[in-house]
This record gives sequence, structure tokens and C-alpha cells, in this order.
Amino acid sequence: MRQLTAFLRLFYLFSLRHLLRHRGRALTVLAGIALGAAVFTSVRLSVDASLASFANTVDRLAGKADRVVLADGGGVPETLVAELLRHPALRAAAPVMSTYVRPSTDPERSFRMVGIDPILDRPLRAWEAEDRDRAARAAWVSLMARPATLLAGASLARDLGWRVGQKVDLEHARGPVAFEVAGRVTSDGLGGVEAGRLVIVDLATFQEFTGRLGEVDRIDLLAAEDLGEDEWDLLAARLPPGVALALPGGAKAAGTAMVRAYQINLSVLSFASLFVGMFLVYSLVALNAASRRQELSVLRAMGAGRGWLFALFIGEGAVFGILGWTVAIPVSTVLVKYLLAAVSQTVSTLFVRVAVERLVLSPAELGLSFVLTVAVSVLAAWQPAREAMGVAPREVMTQLPLSPRYPARARRLAAAGIGCLLAVLPLARVPGPPGLPLPGYLATLLLFVGFALLAPWSLRHLGARAAVLGGRRRAPFFLAARYVRDSGTRTAVSVGALITAVALFCALVIMVHSFRRTVEVWVSQTIAGDLFVAPRMAEINNFRDPMAPADVEAVRNLDLGVTIVPHRRYNLHHAAVPYTLEAMPLAAFFRHGDFVWIGGSAETVRPALARGEGVVVSEVFAHRTGLGPGQRFTAQVGDRRLDWPILAVIRDYRTQGGVVFVDLDALTARIPGTGWTGVRFFADGNLPRIEALRQALITACGERLDMVSGAELRASILQVFDETFAITTVLLLIALAVAALGITTTLTVLVLERARQLNTLLALGGAYGQIRRMILTEAAFLVTAGEAAGLACGFFLSYLLIYVINRQSFGWTFVYRVDWGALALSAPLIVAVALLAALPALGHVLRQPPAALLRDR
Amino acid sequence: MTGTPIIEARALTRVYRLGDTPVTALAGVDLAVAPGALVVLKGVSGSGKSTLLSLLAGLDRPSAGSLVVAGRDLGAAGEAELTLFRRQVVGMVFQNFNLLPTLDVLDNVCLPALLAARPRGPARRRAEELLAWMGLAHRQRHFPAQLSGGEMQRTAIARALINDPQIILADEPTGNLDSRNGRAVVALLADLNRRWGRTVIIATHSTIADRVATREICLADGAIRDGSCAS
Repeated sequence: MRQLTAFLRLFYLFSLRHLLRHRGRALTVLAGIALGAAVFTSVRLSVDASLASFANTVDRLAGKADRVVLADGGGVPETLVAELLRHPALRAAAPVMSTYVRPSTDPERSFRMVGIDPILDRPLRAWEAEDRDRAARAAWVSLMARPATLLAGASLARDLGWRVGQKVDLEHARGPVAFEVAGRVTSDGLGGVEAGRLVIVDLATFQEFTGRLGEVDRIDLLAAEDLGEDEWDLLAARLPPGVALALPGGAKAAGTAMVRAYQINLSVLSFASLFVGMFLVYSLVALNAASRRQELSVLRAMGAGRGWLFALFIGEGAVFGILGWTVAIPVSTVLVKYLLAAVSQTVSTLFVRVAVERLVLSPAELGLSFVLTVAVSVLAAWQPAREAMGVAPREVMTQLPLSPRYPARARRLAAAGIGCLLAVLPLARVPGPPGLPLPGYLATLLLFVGFALLAPWSLRHLGARAAVLGGRRRAPFFLAARYVRDSGTRTAVSVGALITAVALFCALVIMVHSFRRTVEVWVSQTIAGDLFVAPRMAEINNFRDPMAPADVEAVRNLDLGVTIVPHRRYNLHHAAVPYTLEAMPLAAFFRHGDFVWIGGSAETVRPALARGEGVVVSEVFAHRTGLGPGQRFTAQVGDRRLDWPILAVIRDYRTQGGVVFVDLDALTARIPGTGWTGVRFFADGNLPRIEALRQALITACGERLDMVSGAELRASILQVFDETFAITTVLLLIALAVAALGITTTLTVLVLERARQLNTLLALGGAYGQIRRMILTEAAFLVTAGEAAGLACGFFLSYLLIYVINRQSFGWTFVYRVDWGALALSAPLIVAVALLAALPALGHVLRQPPAALLRDR
Repeated sequence: MTGTPIIEARALTRVYRLGDTPVTALAGVDLAVAPGALVVLKGVSGSGKSTLLSLLAGLDRPSAGSLVVAGRDLGAAGEAELTLFRRQVVGMVFQNFNLLPTLDVLDNVCLPALLAARPRGPARRRAEELLAWMGLAHRQRHFPAQLSGGEMQRTAIARALINDPQIILADEPTGNLDSRNGRAVVALLADLNRRWGRTVIIATHSTIADRVATREICLADGAIRDGSCAS
């Protein structure tokens, strides 16, 4: 204890006071690490809030159910409810239906409608009327007694200004219906689904409104007592074909996995800022360790052990980590407000619909960011602390010049770096856990470490060559080259920071460009068409509801000289992997559009597909299920078994899982009477004809259809794409800003560390201008080397991102395309910004008067 | 004294500020040094030796008074003139050697010539001559960390001579050396004073250079004291 007290006292006197005395530098480093920690924390908290909202909705909808009865690709027969209720092992069986609807007055504010049987549902889900008087509490009776009545969630009623007794028009696939608000429910239990933005209706009302008579989405079961797996299996065996028994968390697990993959990618990207911030801590702690060598030898001479010296500098790192995190948390609470809307919007658009109402500062997330921030800072201080440990007590008696670093160390580091780089590809090929690109990220880390370890050796050779190639004629150039040659790990670390930031920049530029170009090809070919028509709310409800037969007939009877390509979609599962089975008349489709093929011969596959001789699967489906060409695709839709050979793999970028395409006639042959879930029209881009078509559809089908032009649809897909990557761009810019701070700190440190050398140069006849040019040349060396290596590293990284991490995270890859224009434009810009970041260091040149050379004894 | 002095100071004063407190390091020093003299500047720590030396070297500017060295008025000189002065007129030798650790012996010696943008070939040949004279011909490609203290100081002296300066200013040149190496360094400085006619000023608080000095100046409390420091 006494030892600890003594150490803490020494730490205060030796380290903290020193940091306070040089608070400008300390604050710069603190700003960098705090910014990194704040970005990391706020990104995690934002995605967590979306995840919590999703989980909350799923849990509240699931209620106390032990098992659920589901039918993949269709509805569960309602008659099954009565049969299940008679089963002695079950205490309750409650049908549930759910869909998204929208008010006619405000089409942008869609919300969830849940259909239940208020009596059967009571044992499974709780919900309370908002007003506690008797009339309000009997509102559920109104749901059953009167058609077209609803109970509104508290938030929704508040947002839309609904009052009890008010009539409201709601729209769905079958057109608008006037509902009466019978009451409002509190945010407890079922009322808290999607943060209270829902309506609850009676099951019969739901079925009449959506036209799904005689079927339900699922039946939730509550066992009378604890049932074993065998008993559940017996129950499952009695279910009709196409109907299955599942655990209630199935949808939650699939949705959570998708959002988690997104969170991991954002977390890794936001961690880049923290990682780059690590270099700042290194620079300052290294400066303190090097510039205070004499003081350290005094401490050693007076009895301080090697461990104490090590602990002093590790302590400095820890102080930066703890203070950085402390500053980061309030910054995060501001930052997260801006991120929350963007992240929840992206999650809703791409994965699962979420309604984030409030932000929870999760202790686990705060703990994670604390541990990571401190760990990163301590790790950054490790090497300088080890160097400090090496100070011998006898050094107090000598005033030797700093030893130059010898090449052996640089060679050893380079050998280790090459080892890391060689391990990148084999590691990237290791299959990771589903949805978690762990090998990909480890390979990325190895890539960064490999390049960073190569930096000292590369700089040494760069400096040596530059000094020989004409450098001797110009003193600043020659001296800068020599310094870079011999500066060893110190400058290599700052170059490592720059490599990291530039590599991320370069890789993301390539990845986003490749992704966008591939998506552009995909939307122009696979999303080809001039007008897309589907039942109201079809998109948000995953095209689950077929068009009304009358509307299908009306479309068939149109005679406007356009090609009609209808589709039928089923949302299915292969094991636990969700996917869409989409059928359309492929011969007609191929006349106007195409798939984006991966390998194989499209010329031979297209006719076979159009003849219904097989299916094509998206690479997401292929990757997640392990199925590919030569194997068979099988599925159960209702009581029908589907089975086709897989002919080819195509690219597809819908985010709700994979897709399987089959010819519509082939599907209809197996599932007779299958309806349409939407139609696309090809009118050769003839705008008047498209407008005439639109008017004809409105005349024939009224307000029951949503219509969007092909151009609008494709533009909206690309807009979603751009908005998704807006967050990425912001995170990247922050990482670059932290890297610029790193350059400022490192060069300042290099200048301060060499005050004596610079003054010597002045005493030997060097001009101020020469010395400033020398520092600027050093900066140019470091920046150019960092940028060049960063670009090289970035190309490798882009390969990993496109072919490994995206594949492991989302199951897709893209066609590799380099945005040479953006890189050519940004490369000199980054060099310029990095050199600007070097300017503050020039201000420190010769700040100490040259005469100090003679007083410094 | 005969002829024009190479160093002439009148009422030379240098005042530093330590926080709000002015500290007078030199207080109205009058000094004239003849060309070819070997002056030993003596005095205890804080007497003003280093301050006077830094003014003579053009590393610092006087607060008051005048200082003319080799015909250049250092009090009135601009930054560029001072830089040229340091390149052409003086060569500095430091107690701590101040060799650049990233340059080998030959490059360290050539450094002032490089800064002065002199042609590389002649500078290199001159450096090799100087190193040979210093007994360091075999050490040309060694780095400072591989040299002994005496070798480092001889390298520093060679460096001070590379631009052929009129004046050599040495600040405690033997301070970090053992007595044998210290004597060798003093002998070298005396040699280049006698054989090559350089003006040499050695600031020291030891007696090691007394026997080679043509003149001894004693500083105390920022002023030149009459008579010998020993008294």
C-alpha cells in the first residue's frame, strides 16, 4: 500500500505535472482520443437503440407464447385455431395478424396494424386502455361488437391528433376504409409495439380490411404446463402440410442478426478513429519518454525500479484513455442525437422497421467504450514505456548523443510485417460465424499491422535513396532524407497512422464506387421497366398481399401496346435463412431486362430459365444456404412442394435476404391459381404512353394500387444507397481529421525532441529558412510515404472489403471498379491537408533561443 | 595590441527576463581581441561566459552596447546577415559536441559546408584532410554513438574548421572529456591558433588551457574583472 501511495505521488509529481506544464500538446492528444471514443460510442448507441426498438416490438408482439404456428409463404388456416384450442396440452391459442397501413390524410406516416382476438389473446398479451373509466376499459368489446373499430397506440393518437369516437380513413391493399377510434391503449404490453405507433383491431376486422379471409399470420401457443420437446414434436406432427411449429424468437433472431452485421461494420469503421487516435497517444508519450531520459536516469539513480518507469508511462497512456473517455461521453450524447435519426432510418429502410423513441445509455456499451478507449491508449503507451524501462542509472553521469537506430531492428520489423501480409489472404479465406466477418476483420487488422511494420524499413530505404539522389546538393533535402532514414519507429508510427487513414479512405472510395456502379447496373437491368404497380402498402409489407383478382383482370385487359411483366413473390425460409421466391414471365422479362450474372453462360441459362427448367439464385442466397449451380432448390409453399435445379447465380442487392427467380408459368403449374403481387410495364420509355397507362390503371383500379415510374424507383434505390453511405463518409472524414491531428502532434513532437539539433544547425550556419524547409521536407517525406503506402494498403483493403467482409456480412460482392478520378483528385488533396497539418510544427522550430545550446548543461 | 581588433565590444549588455524579473547576464562589457589571439574566457558558473560567447557567435543579440566582430556590427545585423556571419566567420565547438546522430563523421564535418551550399567535392576533400589531421581518418564512416568522447570532440573541431572561419569559439570544450583527451583537444586548438593563425576563444572554468593562452579574461557577475581569475 505504501508502495502504491509513493508511486501515485511520483506519478503526480513526475507525469501529471509535466502533462499540465505542456497542456497544449496534451489537450490535442486528448481531443483526438476523445473524438475517436465519442464516434465509436455514439455509433454503437445509435444502432443499439434501433436494435432495442426492434427487439422490444418483437417481444411485445410475441407476448408469453411458448411456440408459434407459422406457414412459410402464406397464411395459416384460421380453422386450425379451434383445433389447437381443443388440445389438452395447450392453455391458449391466439391468432395474430399484422401489417402496415397508412392514414389517407397523411400517406407518409405508415404504422402497424395488429389484428387479434381480444378474448383468446388475453392470456398471451397484456394491453390497457389509456383512460381508466369503465367505458374506456370496455373498449375491447367495441372491437368485437362493431366492425371497423380500432384501438390506437398512445404515441400514434398523439402524433395524428386522434380522439376517441373519431372516424379515420386507413389505406391498405384493398383501398381505404373508415375506422372508428374506439379507445387508446397505454404503452404497456402490446400497446408499446413500435413505441406506441400502432393500432389494434379485431381479427375479423383485420381480415375484412385486408381481404385475407380464413387465414391468419400465425397462431401463438401457450402450454398448459411445461411441455417437453417430444410433446411439442407430437403437436407439430399433427399440423397440416406447409404449417410448422417454431420458437417465438425466430423472426427476432433473423432481424437482429441483420442489424448486428450492420452494427459491426459501423463499429469497425468508427473504431478507425479510435485506432488512429492511438497514434496520437503514442507520439506524445514517446516524446515524454525520450525528452526526459536524463530525468529518468536520475530517478533510476535514486532508486526507482524499471517497473516504476514502465508504470509511469503506461499511466500516462491510461490517463489519456480515462480522460478521453470522460470527455467523449458528453460529446457522444450530442453526437448520437444526429446519428440516431440517420441510423434508425437506414436500419428501417434496409433491414427491419424500427421506431426509436428514446436513447438508453446502456452500461454495457459505456463499459465497452471505456475498456476499448483505455486499452487503446495503454497499448499506445506500451512501446515508449518499454523504452523508458531501458534507461540505465549510469546515464545520469553521461551526456551522450542519441544513438541512431540500426537497420537490424527495421529489418526484423519488416520481416514481421511481411509475415503479417502473407497471412492476410489465407486468414480472409477462413469461413467465419454466420453474419460475423471475424476472419475478414482480423485479416484487415493484419493488413494494417503489416504495412505499419514495413514502414521503418521502407522509410529507411526511402531516406537513403533520396539522400543519394541529388539530395546532397541541397542541405534541407539532404538532412531531411537522413533524418527520415534514421528516425526509426518514431516517424514510422505517424506514417502508420496516415497509412491507416489513407487506406481506409482509398478502400472505401473503391468499395462505394464498385458497389454503386454494380447497383446501377443491377437497377438498370433487373429493375428495368417503365412503370411499377403493386397493391397499396405492398413494399412496406414485403409484397405479401396479392393484387385483387379484379385488378389483375383489369391489367390483363389493358390494350396499350405495352409489355406486361407480372410477378408473384413469396417470403420463405431455407432453414433459418429468409429469402424471396419471385416468379415472373422470364421470356418477356429478358426481352427488356436482364439479371447481373456471376460466371456461367447467361446465353444458355436464359432460354432454360424461360422454359421453366430451373431457377437462378442470388449470391446472397447461394452464400447463406451453400446452394449453387448443379444443386437443387426446394421449398414448401402451403401444401405444395417446389423443386427445381439451380441453373446459375446472379447479383441482387435487396437487403431482406436472398432471392430465387423462377418463371411464372412454371410456378403456376405447381401452385395453380397463384395471384400477382405486382406488375411492371415496359413501354420503351414512351412517356405519353406511360402516362396513358397510368390513367387507364387509375380508371380501372381506382385507389387500390401504388404506382411508381421505373425512373423514380431506380432513383429512389440509388438515393437510399447514397444515404446509407453518408454515415460511412462522415465516419471516414472524422478518421481523416484525427489522422491530421496525428500528423500535427507527431511533427511537433519531432521538432521539440530535436530542439538541440536544430539549434546546432543554426550555430553551424544554418538559416531559419533552411531549417523550416528541412522540417517541411521531412513532413513531405512522411506524408508522401504514408499516402503511397496507404494507397497500396487501400487497394488490398478494398479487395478484402468487397470480396471478404461484404460477403461474410451481407452475402454479396460487387464488380471491382476503381474510381480513378476520385482517387486522383483526393490523393493530392490529402497530401495538401497533411502538409497543412504539419504547419503548426514549423511554429515550434527554434522557439527555444539558439543560445540555449551554450546554457544547456 | 596591434592593428584593428577582430572583436570589439563596447558597453555590451545582455538582460534576460526570468518571468517578471530582469536578470543581467552581461553588464557593460568592454572588450577588444586582436586577430590571432588565443583567449581563455574564465569565470565561475553564471559569470556570463556562455552569454558572451553566444553574442560573439551571433546566436544571440545584445540588449545594449555595440559588438563588432570581423568588421560586422552584430548588434545591427539582420537575421540573414547573422546566418552568413555564422557560416563564414565563426566555428563553434560545444561541451556536448552536438554532433548529429543521424550523420556519420564525414557528413557531420561537411555539414556547415552543406548549409553554406559549398560545392560538395572540395568540401569533402577538406573534411578528409581535417579528419586526417585530427587522427580520425579511419573513423569517417562511423556514427557519433560509435565514437569516444575525445573522438567526438575532435570531429566537432573539424566541423568548426570546415568553412575556414577566422574565429573559433569553444564553449567548455574539455568539459566532457577526461584529462588526456582534454589536453589533446586544447593542444589542437592551440595548434590551429599558432600554425593557421585562427583567433580562438575558449570559455572554461578549468585551468587546462591556461598554458596555451595568449590572453586570459576573467568574468564575474557579468563584467570583466581586472587581473587574473586566480586572484
